[in-house]
Amino acid sequence: MPEAFQQAEVIERIRQQLSSVIDPEIGRGIVEMGLIYVIEAGPAGDVHIMMTTTTKGCPATAFLADAVRACAGSVIGVTNVDVELTYDPPWNPSMMAP
Amino acid sequence: MPGVTISRWTMSYFAAALICLAAGLASTASGFGYPSVPVEAPESLVIIHLIAIGWLGLLFAGSLLQFVPVLASRQLQSPHLALPTLLLTIGGLVLLLTGFLGLADILPFLAWTLPFGGVVLTFAFASLCWMVIGTLVTNRPLSLPAKFVALGCAPLIGVAVMGLLFTLPLSGLTDNSYLVRLVLEAAPAHAYLGLVGWMTVTAVGVSYRLLTMFLLSPEKVRSTSRAAGWLMVAALAAVLYDIVFAGAGTGRKWPLDVAVAIGGTAILLYAIDVYSIFKERKRKSVELNVLSSLVAVAMLVISFILFAVSIAIGNVADMVIPIAYLFTFGWLTGLGLGQLYKIVAFMTWLEFYGPVLGRTPVPRVQDLVNERRASVWFLLYFGATSIATIALIHDVPDVFRWVTIAQLMAVCALAFEFIQARRLALVPASTKLPTGNAISRLFLPSFNGRS
Repeated sequence: MPEAFQQAEVIERIRQQLSSVIDPEIGRGIVEMGLIYVIEAGPAGDVHIMMTTTTKGCPATAFLADAVRACAGSVIGVTNVDVELTYDPPWNPSMMAP
Repeated sequence: MPGVTISRWTMSYFAAALICLAAGLASTASGFGYPSVPVEAPESLVIIHLIAIGWLGLLFAGSLLQFVPVLASRQLQSPHLALPTLLLTIGGLVLLLTGFLGLADILPFLAWTLPFGGVVLTFAFASLCWMVIGTLVTNRPLSLPAKFVALGCAPLIGVAVMGLLFTLPLSGLTDNSYLVRLVLEAAPAHAYLGLVGWMTVTAVGVSYRLLTMFLLSPEKVRSTSRAAGWLMVAALAAVLYDIVFAGAGTGRKWPLDVAVAIGGTAILLYAIDVYSIFKERKRKSVELNVLSSLVAVAMLVISFILFAVSIAIGNVADMVIPIAYLFTFGWLTGLGLGQLYKIVAFMTWLEFYGPVLGRTPVPRVQDLVNERRASVWFLLYFGATSIATIALIHDVPDVFRWVTIAQLMAVCALAFEFIQARRLALVPASTKLPTGNAISRLFLPSFNGRS
């Protein structure tokens, strides 16, 4: 399954790349914060990321989504990034890595 | 995308508010107004309204313009009203102060300035309520913090209209007996509507969200929070009763005492909530804005305890001013300065680093401030406020004026810290922005359509 393997590799690279994006208030990476719910990669390099923010209506929401889009788009092998914001389930502090 | 933008004029509100606070403290330190003259003297009314409308009113209005969209998860209703509201508030305040200075024979007295100032301020606060309520009602059912903020709008309109009615007999435009009695009897209710009804109710609601956000505590609707809200509704109903019957000449003292007692009970429940939020926090490190908020909440509780004790020992008349002082400067101003310390840095971060997030290394919000230095100023501020309250209780006006100078120094030092944050002066070298645009946008918005 080389295709699936490649997709898993892309997802892992995206996850690593997104680790550099911090939540400005907490100062921790958004991956570590549990704000990235899902990363899916298609065979043609199209990527779908489902994410949230610590608070619905947070003024940083658009900047965070934009940063995720830019960051994931810079990964080799990614051709298109679709970022979806969700609050279902809403984020809670237990989603953070210890 | 349910994003919320940065409020364009909030920094201008904050700058104007801080100037009013510094002017009020400097005037008091110089011997102008209370305690050199009685609290009801026009000179004292200048200071009281400079602090209540100029400092606290502008601070709360500017904060709401940024924070209400966060509560409602949508853009602000009629954001184009933000600048007119700011200008109307400043203009109305200047007219009001001019009128009081005229009554004090410091400026020529022009009878129209007081009522005209009252009308302008009523329009300003109505405009603020339009933006706040208009934004909140689009996201029903309202969350608990939103309910508190919406509830606070009713006393805000009430205090503005009542102030406008006060100006009519004060300026000599009418000798209507109802209005004359209202001025003589209902000034404490006027203060209650503004300081407790609007500001405290709003601050309580907003802090339920802000404290859980900053402390990473689970956001719950506690029965104590709901009870605090209903108690505040009951307290405001008692104040309304007091106002209506004070003007009719059949007023009694008990409705306002009942309102203070009920409000005090609500505050105790709120303090229990704050303790629970703090205890359940996931973020173990507590930053200065939260610490100063906790000190402010403690001063709020102390002011109600002092009130209860003064009722018990029968010296309420002597204690009203020290208690009102502690409430205004310990609770509302302490909380306001603590939250400004965070909001200024957070909004500055969003403005300058939000657009480059994910593309270049960025600092944390905390990197924009110097917590160790600012903690000294907060210590000085709260220490001076405590001593000033004790000086008022023991009736030593000289000590009061000296510690007001210490308060003024602390406020000026904190204003300097806010300016340092705005200028991005403290961020690590690796995250400095190449452009100097931070310097040019100290308290005015960008006019290039970007933010």
